[in-house]
Amino acid sequence: MQNNTPVLHTENLTVGYPGDRESGGPVFSDINVDARSSELVALFGPNGIGKSTLLRSLVKLLIPLSGKIYLYGSNIKNYPANRIAKIAGFVSTETVRINNLRVYDLVSLGRYPHTGWMGRLNSHDIEKVEEALEMVGISELKSKYINRLSDGERQRAMIARTLAQDTPVIVLDEPTAYLDLPNKYEIIHLLHRLAAEKGKTVIFSTHDLGIAIQEASKIWVMLHGQIFQGAPEDLILDGSFGRMFEHTNLLFSKGKGEFRIRREPGTIIGLYGPAPERRWTRNALERTGFGVAENKTCDTVVEVVNTDGNRSWIIKQGETNISFASIYELCSYLKPSGA
Amino acid sequence: MKSPDTRYKDGILFALLFAMVLFFFITSIVAGTVSIPVGEIINILAGGESSRPDWEIIVRELRVPRAVTALAAGAGLSVSGLLMQTAFRNPLAGPYVLGISAGASLGVAIVVMGASIIPGYIITGGGDWPAVIAAWAGSGAVLVLILLVSFRVRDIMTILILGIMFGSATGALVSIMQYFSTEAMLKSFLIWTMGSLGGVTGQQLAIMVPAVAVGLIIAMAAVKILNTMLLGEDYARSMGLNITLARGVIFFSTSLLAGTITAFCGPIAFVGIAVPHLARMMFRNADHAVLMPATALTGASVMLASDIASRLPGMEGSLPINSVTALLGIPVVIWIVIRNQKLTGIF
Repeated sequence: MQNNTPVLHTENLTVGYPGDRESGGPVFSDINVDARSSELVALFGPNGIGKSTLLRSLVKLLIPLSGKIYLYGSNIKNYPANRIAKIAGFVSTETVRINNLRVYDLVSLGRYPHTGWMGRLNSHDIEKVEEALEMVGISELKSKYINRLSDGERQRAMIARTLAQDTPVIVLDEPTAYLDLPNKYEIIHLLHRLAAEKGKTVIFSTHDLGIAIQEASKIWVMLHGQIFQGAPEDLILDGSFGRMFEHTNLLFSKGKGEFRIRREPGTIIGLYGPAPERRWTRNALERTGFGVAENKTCDTVVEVVNTDGNRSWIIKQGETNISFASIYELCSYLKPSGA
Repeated sequence: MKSPDTRYKDGILFALLFAMVLFFFITSIVAGTVSIPVGEIINILAGGESSRPDWEIIVRELRVPRAVTALAAGAGLSVSGLLMQTAFRNPLAGPYVLGISAGASLGVAIVVMGASIIPGYIITGGGDWPAVIAAWAGSGAVLVLILLVSFRVRDIMTILILGIMFGSATGALVSIMQYFSTEAMLKSFLIWTMGSLGGVTGQQLAIMVPAVAVGLIIAMAAVKILNTMLLGEDYARSMGLNITLARGVIFFSTSLLAGTITAFCGPIAFVGIAVPHLARMMFRNADHAVLMPATALTGASVMLASDIASRLPGMEGSLPINSVTALLGIPVVIWIVIRNQKLTGIF
């Protein structure tokens, strides 16, 4: 793999808006990150920290306040707009709602940096447009109007437009913002494929850490005036994600790679039984307000039994055994009464 | 940028539009208080001698200039409306709504009535040029103001409201000038504000037609820019468009079109805003390579038809063209507002 030189890297970059303190000023400083080819980079951070500002600066929609952004080793300050347009494509958060615009025409707009002054498409352009439609899986929608598409389909069309622009770098600002869960996964997986199969450098901002951990090759985390980067797994193991939510109600579980609400554990309940049942019973018990120990030595112990798909939950308190047919009933029984 | 399956349909629509323009153009020349046989008209147009010399004068010096004026004004105002709607990404933009026509009016008012206000101010010579140049300057100034505001204010409704304010402000200035001007000057200005296609002489057409043609050519050359701007400023810039240059080109063309037409025909309302929507309705396409000629042809037909309607048989003289275009255009505008209640979907 000859991935060693970054396609994009920043040097002591400060992003923000021109002007005085009231109308502008720096948003985020000391940004030193990089991205290589075939990498899917997820940009993660709390609302309002400056993710969009950074992404817009990377494609030169905003001029950095200080520091440098390099694409293929040259400072983008020296690149004219039409050169950037051939290197880095952009998908914004804005929902494009234009009546009478067909998917095919939207996607072919992406060819604009490559066409002449009338914007006429040649056979090579048409090939690129068809290829982009194919890649995101909306070939059969090409003569539909974009206002008739579902949110997921529209986002695919917007990504296809950027693909048609045929740039080695693609920057997307919250591409999964308005999507339902299956669409979120599919869009991120599509981005993953673009990086893996087409060798593109794909950078996107997101709030879905779970999906990012599964699909991204690298995560940039913006937090408390600091930005750091690494493979998601590295960031989990070194506690970066945990620190991210230090002052909130959330806990990051290193073992599970997910967040949960911070709770003061109450009475400890022992739990044993087969794996999937045990995992979800634990989930329910913790939600109900108990601590869970996976042993049999507590005063109260729950045993999960699964005989050929017939599940039961047995509470053992001293000599008494009570059996329940569902987790719901179990929790209703255990739930501390409103006293 | 054209889906292959729409090409055939577009061809038929263009042929129909072309036929409509031709039909209204000829009807406009034939219709009038003095009825002249169609055969004679064709004969005169072809350069032949007519059996009656007065018919020749009516056709050559009144009816043909009037029809050409309607053709140019309709096409030019409609295209300027399309340019504004795309540049501002606002379906309710147009030269009249944004105050561009009002700016041109102010320019003309200064030239026509300025003598009564500014001591020692007399425009001598230059024919129609002072009024035309003043109209260009006035419409250009309003556009630049709106442009400056649009850098600071992103919300399209706010910009629209500000455009209306600029329009009202220039209107107020014009009223003050009217108050101080002499009766004769006031009358000539008032007649001008009602809009007229009939008052444009062949000599004036020699300025108007080339100016409108240049505006239309620039607009047609800006098709790629306009398509790129459809997706909004971020996308346009991310595709390498120089947005300042693009706006400059579009605004230059708009000032030229709206300014010229306003100078000669008066502020004509609702054509600029309504016709682009008619073109979109017919072609169901957002591509400006299709919309631009479609808008120009539709605008020409609408203006020719409005002009014919303004001098229906049995009437002496003709109705002010502004009233006719308003009555035809307002239902279209209401329909647009009702259709996108929240104005979220543009075009």
